[in-house]
Amino acid sequence: MAIDSVEMQPAYILHHRAYRDTSALLELITPLHGRVGVVARGARGARSPLRGVLRPFLPLLCSWGGRGELFSLRRAEVAGRMPVLSGQALFAAYYLNELLLRLLQRQDPHPEVFEAYVQALDGFAGQPLEAVLRLFEKRLLEALGYGLMLETDVHGEPVAADRRYRYIPEQGPEPIEGKMPDEGGLSGRALLALAAEACDNVQDLRELKPLLRRMLGLYLGERPLKTREFLTDMERQGRSGHD
Amino acid sequence: MTLSPAIQRLVEALRCLPGVGPKSAQRMAFQLLERDREGGRRLAAALEEAIDKVGHCEQCRTLTEEPVCGICRSDSRDRGQLCVVETPADIVAVEQATDFRGLYFVLMGHLSPLDGIGPADIGLDRLAERLARGEVAEIILATNPTVEGEATAQYIADLARSHGIRATRLAHGIPLGGELEYVDGGTLSHAFSGRRDL
Repeated sequence: MAIDSVEMQPAYILHHRAYRDTSALLELITPLHGRVGVVARGARGARSPLRGVLRPFLPLLCSWGGRGELFSLRRAEVAGRMPVLSGQALFAAYYLNELLLRLLQRQDPHPEVFEAYVQALDGFAGQPLEAVLRLFEKRLLEALGYGLMLETDVHGEPVAADRRYRYIPEQGPEPIEGKMPDEGGLSGRALLALAAEACDNVQDLRELKPLLRRMLGLYLGERPLKTREFLTDMERQGRSGHD
Repeated sequence: MTLSPAIQRLVEALRCLPGVGPKSAQRMAFQLLERDREGGRRLAAALEEAIDKVGHCEQCRTLTEEPVCGICRSDSRDRGQLCVVETPADIVAVEQATDFRGLYFVLMGHLSPLDGIGPADIGLDRLAERLARGEVAEIILATNPTVEGEATAQYIADLARSHGIRATRLAHGIPLGGELEYVDGGTLSHAFSGRRDL
């Protein structure tokens, strides 16, 4: 795809890699151009004005241009403040980046994914980590066309808060009769809370985690997520610290 | 003009150095061959010796040809303070600029979750063992002020906390002799929130 130039578009850096002596290869996420690969020439040089600018999670305005798969970054400015990401939230933010790198194609715009990303980064500052992650995962699946059916069950009946369900991919929730040991089962209440994007109940979040993980897994393929290993590792370390 | 195979190989080999492109590699090769064969011989010997002998310090992981480096062996250093840096060059920088008399631990990189560089790759298993021994009272996190450096610092701070050890982070501030107007927003906001009583 050939484009001449794009001027001052909102963007975040998903990933950066050193390239040659002083340059960097960046993967950006933007609202109107989706994921974009750019070369930032000289960005790592000692006197480069971009040194403090090209950082992940920092809202930017970028200009780029050129031809082919990889464009040249022409200009970048800081467009806001770095979100407050401390401890686990920082690694969770990397997890969002990894999901986007794995699931978005280059130059396939999804403005609603960008919006969900911005909200998630801001959300880490005040909201429970798990709630922010589940909401982002749900919105990401939705935007990619793999949205979950959360309000209607496989028989076309509305999901009832007090019943338990088993989620069948691409079909929806199937009611589980009686009290089965909850193998992948989850409550109607959790499904409805996710549909309403208002998951604040710890039990609901615990039930939604394996569901979203399984659904994302269908599209992520076999390769494990590197950041997920990090988060589990940190949780384990946190727990051993409390013993 | 085409270079003879031996010269060509030398030019190619020199290009592994940072900042050396084909043109400067060729200039270096001719300099050595035309004017400074003795220097070239010394360079070759020094390179070979260093590559063969230099390994990592058993305690701090810095580069050294001895099993334990000079700083770790010294008995005039404070064993209660441990400064964590990303590279051996950072040790030199801290040693030259500060009065720090504690010990170091070199990560040889930083955590990079998206590239799969995890805690074990930067020696944090060894650091954890060391913290468990109880000699260290304060761990000073001197990783770079990049997002990855910050992530690494936070991870180690958690580790230190789980061993009941105090973790401190180098302050971020306005460069000396700089002007506020030209300082980037991130640095200024860090400097502002970390202001001090006068």
